[in-house]
Amino acid sequence: MSRTATKAIFAAAALGWTLFATAAWAAPAAETDAVPEAETSDVMTIPPPKPTWFFVDGGWDMAGTSIFDGETGKMKGMVETRRLADFAIDPAGKFYYVSETIWSKGDRGTRQDMVSVYDSQTLNLVTEIPLPGRILIGSRKNNFIISDDGKTAYIYDFSPASGVNVVDLAKRKFVTAIELPGCASLMPNPGVGFSALCSDGSLATVAIKGSKADITHSAPFFSATDDPIFDNFTYDKRKQETTFLTYTGQIFQAKLGATPTIAAPFSIQAAAGIRPGETKPLELNWYPGGRQPMALHRPSGHLFVLMHMGEYWTHKASGTEVWEVDLATQKVVKRRALKEPMNNIEVSQTDKPLLFMNGEEASAIVIDLATGEEKHKIERAGGSTITVADPS
Amino acid sequence: MKRFNADAMGEKLLRRLAGGSSRRSMLSRLGAALVAAPVFPLLPVSRAEAAKPDRSPEAKTGFARNAQTKDDTKCDYWRYCAIDGALCTCCGGGLHSCPPGAEPSPVSWVGTCINPDDGKAYLIAYRDCCGKPACGQCGCDNTDRETQLYMPQLNNDVIWCFGTSSMEYHCSTAVMVGAAS
Repeated sequence: MSRTATKAIFAAAALGWTLFATAAWAAPAAETDAVPEAETSDVMTIPPPKPTWFFVDGGWDMAGTSIFDGETGKMKGMVETRRLADFAIDPAGKFYYVSETIWSKGDRGTRQDMVSVYDSQTLNLVTEIPLPGRILIGSRKNNFIISDDGKTAYIYDFSPASGVNVVDLAKRKFVTAIELPGCASLMPNPGVGFSALCSDGSLATVAIKGSKADITHSAPFFSATDDPIFDNFTYDKRKQETTFLTYTGQIFQAKLGATPTIAAPFSIQAAAGIRPGETKPLELNWYPGGRQPMALHRPSGHLFVLMHMGEYWTHKASGTEVWEVDLATQKVVKRRALKEPMNNIEVSQTDKPLLFMNGEEASAIVIDLATGEEKHKIERAGGSTITVADPS
Repeated sequence: MKRFNADAMGEKLLRRLAGGSSRRSMLSRLGAALVAAPVFPLLPVSRAEAAKPDRSPEAKTGFARNAQTKDDTKCDYWRYCAIDGALCTCCGGGLHSCPPGAEPSPVSWVGTCINPDDGKAYLIAYRDCCGKPACGQCGCDNTDRETQLYMPQLNNDVIWCFGTSSMEYHCSTAVMVGAAS
């Protein structure tokens, strides 16, 4: 068959399909007397991140972070976050940042580490900032953090020597690599640099001046092997404070600065009127657990913790209850039973907070804390960490 | 009961690794990885000796009380007390063997697991097999004495494919290192 004949057949087929399609679409339109108009394809844009939105990382199974509106339960768009990528929101709301690793030939070839910058309204890639390396782990909130002023990003690296790569987000340039032996899990420390948790149970503070870094350590305050602090702790830029939670359920608060101060801990179980968690086997009790086991509602100072019944060393188990802790009074003010066990938790930083959770099955739920009702359930939303915008 | 307490050693080790390596040099990274290979698994041996651990049933974790020694394709096989990922025994490999075409990582995280047949604790190196897509078979996530990222040699979430030609994670093995006490 000649090429011309083939083209003619395809053209006829295409025309036929077009006529059929037009007729099919025209039928319901005729009932409403609307005149069908030819449409052109276009692309949606979205507003900058809203405080009631939540961002769900697809984790190992889905190569994107889905953006959902917590009020409507509708998906707004997606940012590319392949396996083991980390996602962060520009505090000014203009960009989404993804710290990620790509190989030139898919799973082989040249390794490329970078921070990819996306416009928050078009979700288009703006630029890529090359990095000398980053850790490959995923499901961690504190390996890629942004300074409060939005100007600097800190990216944890593990090669397997431990360090932090510093990026100037305004100039979109890698600045320096800082060796950070024995420490990981980063938090911003405004005006100083950043802080991190260490294997000797101390808090390291890294003061950065240009490309120089001065590392100091607090006195050890927790046991990294016997009762570790979960990597996914929370940071409050209003108070420049972090809230830490240990496997047994001890809650520490640290005031950051050049010399951070760490307050005496309290037990979440004791705060609920039951015996504190212990490290001994055969001690059935309520323990915190999950991948992202806690969320802080910063305006009220209420901490939401995923809790499950079990023995010690079950720190990855999904929560069957959410305990709401008033950090000021050190009391558990409410315990909420969950219909299904949940693994990651976040909360909107709004006056009427919405609680966001997902579990092993990758379904996300939205709970209105005013009523306690499940507002939305979204199947296949994504199974990894949840992020919210913090407009403070 | 006193558990592991090798914080100072771990930090010293990491300092040595960090101090000796220029971040941009792949050669020195590989060097660090190779140095790390024999040293990481030694840590809990020293700890276990120092701690003289209690091996009574009351001191055993839930995993250790229920572990079995017959079937290494099940998550409750005794060596898997701190494994996370696909079992290589289900992916065409073995307890200490990578499946065809995959490459063992020279570095690993470690666990101290109790063999129910003799009641003794053994040091297990969980070496990832790398360079093939995730196997997907027999996914397990056991967490006895598993810690967080600031104690990386005891963390089972890190992709440990350092010093291999590809960092793609395929599956995890459970290599016997020796008696822990």
